[in-house]
Amino acid sequence: MLSLSVSGQSWLHKSPTPLKLIVLCVATFMLFSLQNWLDALLALVVVCGLYLSIGWSFAKIGIERLKPLIWMILVIMLYHLLTSRIEEGVVISLRLCAAIGLATLITMTTRLDAMMKVVDWLAEPVYKLGLPRRTLGLASALVIRFTPVFIERGTKLSDAWKMRSTKRPNHRLLVPLSLAVLDDADRVAEALKARGGLSSIKAGAESSKSAQTKDQRTKL
Amino acid sequence: MERNLVFIALFAALIAALGLIPKIDLASGVPITAQSLGIMLAGTVLGAKRGALAVLLFLALVALGLPLLAGGRGGLGLFASPTAGFLVGFPVAAFVAGLIMKQWQHSNIALVATVAAVIGGIIVLYIFGIIGLSITLDKSLMESTLLMTPFLIGDAIKAVITGLVTQAIAKARPEFLFSRA
Amino acid sequence: MIKIETVDFALQDRPILSNLSLDIAQKRVGLIGCNGSGKSSLLRLIAGLQEPDQGAITVNGIDVAKDRSKAISTIGLIFQNPDHQIIFPTVEEEIAFGLESQLGDKKLAIEKANAILTTFQRSHWASLGTHMLSQGQRHLVCLMAVLAMQPSVILLDEPYAGLDWPTSAALYQWLEKLDQQLLLITHDLDHLKKFDRIIWLDEGKIAMDGEPETVLAAYAAEMRLRSNQDLAPDQDAKPLPDSQTMTIKERA
Repeated sequence: MLSLSVSGQSWLHKSPTPLKLIVLCVATFMLFSLQNWLDALLALVVVCGLYLSIGWSFAKIGIERLKPLIWMILVIMLYHLLTSRIEEGVVISLRLCAAIGLATLITMTTRLDAMMKVVDWLAEPVYKLGLPRRTLGLASALVIRFTPVFIERGTKLSDAWKMRSTKRPNHRLLVPLSLAVLDDADRVAEALKARGGLSSIKAGAESSKSAQTKDQRTKL
Repeated sequence: MERNLVFIALFAALIAALGLIPKIDLASGVPITAQSLGIMLAGTVLGAKRGALAVLLFLALVALGLPLLAGGRGGLGLFASPTAGFLVGFPVAAFVAGLIMKQWQHSNIALVATVAAVIGGIIVLYIFGIIGLSITLDKSLMESTLLMTPFLIGDAIKAVITGLVTQAIAKARPEFLFSRA
Repeated sequence: MIKIETVDFALQDRPILSNLSLDIAQKRVGLIGCNGSGKSSLLRLIAGLQEPDQGAITVNGIDVAKDRSKAISTIGLIFQNPDHQIIFPTVEEEIAFGLESQLGDKKLAIEKANAILTTFQRSHWASLGTHMLSQGQRHLVCLMAVLAMQPSVILLDEPYAGLDWPTSAALYQWLEKLDQQLLLITHDLDHLKKFDRIIWLDEGKIAMDGEPETVLAAYAAEMRLRSNQDLAPDQDAKPLPDSQTMTIKERA
């Protein structure tokens, strides 16, 4: 599965990820406090400038990504038009475009592994409390590995439905799909334990020892 | 530990898959994405803690830039959009739904899970969603609440479906109904 | 009668089938080819689950992708994994589902489903949970669910692969008895020896088409030639780690 980041060598790609995220937080906070349409427009121009500073082809990908925003803006403008608060609608729309544009820019210029590193750093206190260090990486890997599997499974089940009914598949398809997920989880958990589980090799020996004693206990 | 982790991760994958498979029909013939159903199911099936963690893991990967949200969306931009409040409310919704499953040990699973989905997946989730709307759109809480009413009917139907699916799972694999374990 | 006329088909811009034409009238037809040769896509197209980009596909004169209500009564499809196919919690519901779409009446569908179970001497399965059955039994449920709808053509995508020999042999016996036209994808060439016709698909085109003796022999020879260099161990590769070093590592 592809991440939404766009590879490149720009200044923004090279900036440290934690710094980018902090700036994004502060900037978003400030953006949502803008009350004047001129300020909001200025902010949006700055965001557009940031996209262009990376290059035209990069900016074009950005425009493509932000296209769904048009519908949202249309709905917002329509609502404000009906309640005759056009200026308010303009400020809100400009602000939203700037904020979402900026956040999307950070996503586009930050690699998945760099983001993961930040998450790992944030999780440090939890690791200290005893959460095995492999947990988050393994969990993410499992999600990435199994999402396409379940999409395929859902498609197959809806094929099976369509071969026997002219109606579109409905919620009844969710039962076999969720059961399949639970069964797969059961099997994967066994396989994971068999390969040493969550702990590193050193700790793994201990945990397999304790698993053995547990097994013996259940046998007894 | 491993077992919990795998169930949490694979349920997160299910939530993602539900947003990406072709839409299914509601009872009324209206196509929906089943992703929010996945959120409710995470709570009613996996229980409060595991359910909330599954949703949190899903959201974290969306935030990091994986296109797992319905329609292949993802990235930090979603958390600045008017619907951001709903995303933030997702794990809490699952947690509350799981809590109700545990606390209310009535034997009619479909009923309990439907109520759990209504309280977690509608009432609690809407509170978060409405606060998000009012911040991003600069509207009063009252006005934001009014904006949400058109979505109530669809979400109520989803809650009932959550009840039915949870009951079917309880019947077929009672050992996997962690919310009641 | 399956009629495929100059069909082009691509998945996400990757061409799968190109300018394929086939008339299939024989009762027992095997479809062979490597993984990725387009066999499964062809089966999905014949089932009407997908429309070709170019050309037309009809089964007994029915446009399978457009006329779905006739298509579901004409074609049955059986997957490799019954868990991809079984939707409902009980055997009775699973078999009745297709009948209900055909008859438009749930009660009648359930009655007929039970009649099917009786013909298969499995009437005691009706109220059983589908998940309680063995893999082989679930395959039989899939077959019953398909046969209940009385299709004239049954498509099978590597059915019974991965089952133990007695189970797959028993299931193949059911298939042999059938009066329907069968189009079977399999890697198990032994099952195809008595077939009427074998179609060998390679990279979306027909590599060979004809009697089993000739096609199967040519296919087997070609496959021996291609025998996946990718997977085979290198001649001068390092020796594999032996079990002793592995155990030491684990103990450490």
